[in-house]
Amino acid sequence: MAATMAAELTQHLNARHLYPTASWLQTFLSTTRPITPLPAIKQTALFRLLASDITTTLKQPAASVFPSDVLKGTIKSRIVTGPVVCQVLDIEDIGHSRWSQVESIEAKERGETTKGREIVRVVEQENEGTADAASPVQSKGPFKLLLQDAKGLKIYAFDLRGIDGLSTNMAMGVKLVLRNVDVRRGVVMLEPGCVQVVGGKLDALDKAWKQGRKERLMAAARTVNTLA
Amino acid sequence: MVRVLCVAEKPSIAKAVANHLAGQARAENVRGIQWVKNYKFDFGFDRWGQCSVTFTCVAGHIVEQDFGERYKKWTSCQPAALFEAPIESRIAAARKAVATNIEAEARYASILYIWTDCDREGEHIGTEIRDIALKVNPNMQVWRARFSNIERAHVIRASQNPVRLDEAQAQAVSARIELDLRLGVAFTRMQTLALQNMIPQQSEDRNKLISYGSCQFPTLGFVVDRYLRVRNFIPEPFWYIRVAHTKDDIDVKFNWRRGHLFDRMAVILIFERCLLAKSAKVIKMAKKPTAKWKPLPLTTVELQKMGSRFLRMTSEDVMKVAEDLYTKGWISYPRTETDQFDPGINLRALVGKQTQDGQWGRFAQNLIDGEFQQPRQGRNNDKAHPPIHPVNYIVPTTLNERERTVYEFVVRRFLACCSKDAVGEATDIEIDYGGEIFHAHGLTVIARNYLEVYRYDRWESSQVLPQYTVGETFEPTEANMHDGETTAPAYLTEPELIGLMDANGIGTDATMADHIAKIKKREYVIARTKTGGGAAGRGRGRGRGGARGGRGGRVGAAAAQNGGGDTGGVQEFIPTTLGIALIEGYDNMGFETSLSKPFLRKEMEVQMKAICEGRTTRNDVVQQNLEQYRAVFNRTVQQIHVLKSAVTKYVVNANHG
Repeated sequence: MAATMAAELTQHLNARHLYPTASWLQTFLSTTRPITPLPAIKQTALFRLLASDITTTLKQPAASVFPSDVLKGTIKSRIVTGPVVCQVLDIEDIGHSRWSQVESIEAKERGETTKGREIVRVVEQENEGTADAASPVQSKGPFKLLLQDAKGLKIYAFDLRGIDGLSTNMAMGVKLVLRNVDVRRGVVMLEPGCVQVVGGKLDALDKAWKQGRKERLMAAARTVNTLA
Repeated sequence: MVRVLCVAEKPSIAKAVANHLAGQARAENVRGIQWVKNYKFDFGFDRWGQCSVTFTCVAGHIVEQDFGERYKKWTSCQPAALFEAPIESRIAAARKAVATNIEAEARYASILYIWTDCDREGEHIGTEIRDIALKVNPNMQVWRARFSNIERAHVIRASQNPVRLDEAQAQAVSARIELDLRLGVAFTRMQTLALQNMIPQQSEDRNKLISYGSCQFPTLGFVVDRYLRVRNFIPEPFWYIRVAHTKDDIDVKFNWRRGHLFDRMAVILIFERCLLAKSAKVIKMAKKPTAKWKPLPLTTVELQKMGSRFLRMTSEDVMKVAEDLYTKGWISYPRTETDQFDPGINLRALVGKQTQDGQWGRFAQNLIDGEFQQPRQGRNNDKAHPPIHPVNYIVPTTLNERERTVYEFVVRRFLACCSKDAVGEATDIEIDYGGEIFHAHGLTVIARNYLEVYRYDRWESSQVLPQYTVGETFEPTEANMHDGETTAPAYLTEPELIGLMDANGIGTDATMADHIAKIKKREYVIARTKTGGGAAGRGRGRGRGGARGGRGGRVGAAAAQNGGGDTGGVQEFIPTTLGIALIEGYDNMGFETSLSKPFLRKEMEVQMKAICEGRTTRNDVVQQNLEQYRAVFNRTVQQIHVLKSAVTKYVVNANHG
């Protein structure tokens, strides 16, 4: 019974290009109750896996991680067929100066936003989720992301075209599946047709990322200024 | 014969209207005040027949509100007591003779005809006059004239169509007066007493007043807010790509659709992809008619903004001059929110009066000869006054310099409104180069139309662009990666400040200039003339740097525009250490809405409107606002140390350090 269950789950997850390690699967199965219907278990497994750190929970086949020499800067352009599963560790809005982002975060902290020249008070919603959803204008970027594959390899990526689901409001640790992406000089160029945003997040990372965002932007603004 | 007593808001109006009605009115002196005259004449009113008329005036408000003796001395009570201390109304000492004159004249008249300015304040002054008159002669009929300029025909028409005083508007003013008095005095006393000794005194004003006003503070808040943004600003580098192509001997510059990016690596990668692509492909080649719209009819706020931008006058001065031009009968009432002309008004006739002018007469004549077009309709109508427009022609050289400037502006603006939009042809070319979009934009002005008379707008033809066809490919002559740096926004200028006050409901068109003057007088801000030199260069950098960075961008664009226009007289505001300390002090108290923010006052202004429209009552508004501000007051008293430490930080230490 447990064996069939394991097989069913593996098949379900593999179909989504996720190859969990044997130990993760075992631990997961030990937490499920045998009477739970299979579809529910499949869903729970996917949910948990997406909320996990893929560097410890996935053991991907070679095609589903980045090639080991992917960071080589001398290669002008190469196509990585994938599908590569990776998680987002960081995202930066490179269409706006860091300082202007700091200013808009501060305005939001004060509960203000501007509508033309009018300063508008934003009344915070009761529950946390809707406050973000109601946040005024979503920047269109473009964005620079830091991605990590199951082997722990970290690589920069650019979203220059505007891909649904990628923004500075998204959860850190969200999982992406990349197919046929162009990697230029060790940087992934994301295109709408090549990226599937699968979802999930890494709670601790996401929280720390959101809390520290303003400080990081301020520090970054100061550094680039002294470098320039 | 029926006796009618007419009362205007100021001497100049009484004189002008009396002379329009009478032809030549006999002026009698009034005992105790040389500047008030009683004009006596006979006049036939449709409603009352031939009447014996006395036309006199007041000078603004006659009645003043103040706290009773017990509360008058600064040390006589806790400032908090002023939230409920009784308020006494009495004839202001300086207006006693004016009131006596009205009483004396009212005794013999059976009709009181009020000719105060047709705005909220005028309505309230009307009720003050009525109350004085009815006290001595309770049987008087009370009427009011509705007029918006002092042009003869208009005045005569108004005189034949009396209406009733608008009680609701008077009530709104009464609410405003009570709130301004209680809040102003309570907060001013409280903060002055708390902070006075900390501030180094100049020899002259030993007891410096640290005033509070519910409009003053948000106004100051805007100035401080911008100042801090300028001070805190950190410049950052950005990179961009520019492409050039020479065709038909024309050097065409293509700009990057993305503007610029703040990541060097990204731009290098994109640039490399462009170079690898070798050739660019034309994806859009469009020529389409374009127009620069003529301006909207002139409102007060717009007049003030334009005044400081183009006429080198402060908003306060512009309004003073406009007021003079109005009382002399040259322009319509200069306090209006309306930016649409009533369909009934004979605009052609007004244009016709301007045909005799040496400068714009020809333009006006052309309008009459068929170029005339109905003005655009704005979205605002205060239902009291038309947009500001010239009502009569005056040879500009007979005016003094400042009057001439303002009159010329009002006339040119009006003629522009009655003219046609400027038309041109826009050319837009877009190319795809390595997956990136670059564009070139060209403009050919075909007919300048309104621009001929409205010299304050600029719209010039650009370089002529060569013909491309969609699908055509070419190898750019040049493709380069450039860098730049964001620059700080500029300090707040007067037109910007007026714009912010207007958008945020601080003050009315009638009072904005006063609030700005007040924060200067209190030494919360200093105004200095913006330096013109280098503005163009900096403006451009700002435009690029901040264009996508929220408010900074708009500032940049405005500044760049200024740099291009003939402006050197724009004032910019910088807060004093005291000004910053006050705003930061209140902000640091952690109220949900600090007094430095526009929200509380905006709410109050909305409620005034509601009173005028009969949706709420004076008492409800006063009580509700007092409650709200009392909460803020009490917390301020509790946390006065926060305010004090801000003053220590900026004023005390700055002076000793």
